[in-house]
Amino acid sequence: MKHDSLRTGLLWIGPWILGFCIFTVLPVSLAVYYGFTDYTLLESPIPVGTQNYERMLHDEILGTVLWNTAIFGVLSIFFGTILSISLAALLSKPARFQSFWRAAVFAPSVLPLVAIAVIFKLGYDPDPEVGLANQMIDWFTFGALKGPNWFGSGFWAMTALLLMSLWSVGPAVVIYLAGLRDVPKQLHEAASIDGVGPFGRFFHVVLPMISPVILFNVIIGVINAAQVFAVPLIMTGGGPERSTYFHSMYVYDQAFKFGDMGYASALGVLQFVIILMLTGLILLAGRKFVYYRGA
Amino acid sequence: MTIDAKTITRRTALGLLAAGAGGYAAFGPERRRLHSGGRVVLDYWEKWTGHEAAAMKVVVDRFNESQGRIFVNYLTMGGIDQKAKVAIAAGDPPDVLGLWNRNLPFFSQCGAVMPLDQLKDYGITESSYAKAVGPLVFRNGRQLAAPSTPSSIALYYNRTIFKEVGLDPDSPPRTIEEFDVAIDRLTILDSDGDVERAGFLPTDPGWWSWCWGGFFGGHLYDEKTGLATVNSPQNIAGYNWYQSFPKRWGLDKLRRFQGAPIDNPSPYRNFFSGRLATTIQGPWLPMFMDQELGKGNFDYGACPFPVPAALADQPPYGPIEADILVVPTGAKNPDASMEFIAFTQRPENMETLCTGHAKPSPLSTSSEAFIREHPNRAVAVHEEILQSPNAYTTPWITGWAEFGMALGAGLDQIWNLKSPSAAAPLAEVQIEASEILQREADRRHRRGQPDPWEEA
Repeated sequence: MKHDSLRTGLLWIGPWILGFCIFTVLPVSLAVYYGFTDYTLLESPIPVGTQNYERMLHDEILGTVLWNTAIFGVLSIFFGTILSISLAALLSKPARFQSFWRAAVFAPSVLPLVAIAVIFKLGYDPDPEVGLANQMIDWFTFGALKGPNWFGSGFWAMTALLLMSLWSVGPAVVIYLAGLRDVPKQLHEAASIDGVGPFGRFFHVVLPMISPVILFNVIIGVINAAQVFAVPLIMTGGGPERSTYFHSMYVYDQAFKFGDMGYASALGVLQFVIILMLTGLILLAGRKFVYYRGA
Repeated sequence: MTIDAKTITRRTALGLLAAGAGGYAAFGPERRRLHSGGRVVLDYWEKWTGHEAAAMKVVVDRFNESQGRIFVNYLTMGGIDQKAKVAIAAGDPPDVLGLWNRNLPFFSQCGAVMPLDQLKDYGITESSYAKAVGPLVFRNGRQLAAPSTPSSIALYYNRTIFKEVGLDPDSPPRTIEEFDVAIDRLTILDSDGDVERAGFLPTDPGWWSWCWGGFFGGHLYDEKTGLATVNSPQNIAGYNWYQSFPKRWGLDKLRRFQGAPIDNPSPYRNFFSGRLATTIQGPWLPMFMDQELGKGNFDYGACPFPVPAALADQPPYGPIEADILVVPTGAKNPDASMEFIAFTQRPENMETLCTGHAKPSPLSTSSEAFIREHPNRAVAVHEEILQSPNAYTTPWITGWAEFGMALGAGLDQIWNLKSPSAAAPLAEVQIEASEILQREADRRHRRGQPDPWEEA
């Protein structure tokens, strides 16, 4: 009887397992294999041992893209976390049109990234008569400051991308909102009775209570930042001087533009290992800093 | 007979799966190989859209009507080179494929295109083509591709502005030295030094970043030795001239000039609006002029791009490119593909196509009617460059995409004045390019393929 129900269960999940094997296990396994080959896609792969991985050791462009990705990841996660917690805290307070404000914060995340990138590219136009960003700088400083040429230097191009990344904090805000709702009122009241002010309550009560949610969002943020691709591709094309050239763009170029599928696969494996290690490190750090209720 | 509920569930599940698979097999996508009339169907993938796609459609229709054995199924798409790689790798390529000449080294080195030797039977040889076009598609005596539409790049100028500043529009600058003087006369700066009208800007539109050294006699790669020559004195001179523009007017001022609002999203907007007096462009420019400004409303002239005085007496220098047709390896009907390609190479079809694209003909000679009725009245300038031994294109290397990207990063440094001269950035590009070429050589050796210079 038990054996029979196992068979029935396997039969039902069979299609999913089949799909998982064909569309996930097989490609990942092939990517690992191709990482040890010289493969142009148009010719048969030739095993080259660890050559692709050795090449990484003195690939200056890889150093550049990893650095750019790290900078983008750290800053976008840092500022994104602060912004989304702040927005969630504001949206959790009773207010008129609360649903509207919540929808307004989430709505940008629904738009396709490609469309947003095109709009932002226009918004960053250096001429204040065209670019909204420079118009705002002009307006807020009463004309005292001229906006930068956003895509003319590496610093400003990266800043432009970071600012744009804050556009889609909506999903994180929703998760933080849910987390904030779970903070017991009694803790707020107890802290208030003890004379703790609003900031103190936020840092000593709210933040520890939502720390598992922060951990989750940071991990998702790391994975997203490590795979950033479409927006810089459209907005900057990786320039100027490769200052906004990221790891995923490099993998794509190696695979489909330069025809080096072997090296691209090795770079993909590196990306996977980096994300895995960072996630592991964050989870390890989480053991010390994250508070789990009931744990 | 009792029916077990569990059995029904299993049967239903298996039946549904089987029905789905059967339905897919019966009604799912299938490549058409035979037309309803029993004709062999050729799938022809091309990258063009709009009027360019329409021009080839005329030729395809003409071919389909000209005989009853072959039917060409013409499909246009974006990202064609990448899609083609996947299709060829998967063993299901189209029968005819439209690529760019810069793709050919990689595709041919990988054995992904079939030599078009059979075109000889149709009377097509290297001498059928303009002098500079033949080497784009022939290698070591074998034809690897057929040109569809070529282009050569020239200097276009606004004759009205030339007259306005006292320059003779019938005698455009021939040397860089003359051009520099003309640029200063054509340029208008306001009281703050902001550029109101630029005599010329190498970054407008900035599509041929690899071309600047070539006007000074430089090459990026030496085919005889297989070595990169990015930082040769000629290339340094060319890119120093390129850098002279931000040095002359100021980088910020140029950025503002190029980012200024104009009610025209076209890449030609500065030239069409008179903010740019001269521009480096391809033969299609007048067609867009007519479309955007109305036929005959813009008085333009064209000439080969100026070169240093020492080279001025030689045949014209200029970058060239070509759209090409290839037969991918694994194509199901290679003979029929050859027949179609041979049809496109006939002078009357080639001239129809090139007129539709507003480009010069790739053939060794053009008819008088082609020149006379061409939408670009300066098409002879472009044909002259296609016939010149000094015309040049991107290097015949499989790693050009990567090489070009390295050059682009170097150019950013040069343009952004990160270095007082082009020498240091080009030296960096030279190192990077040498590494790319070395990897290319390693790959060839690994696969037992000869080095191109040895083959030659």
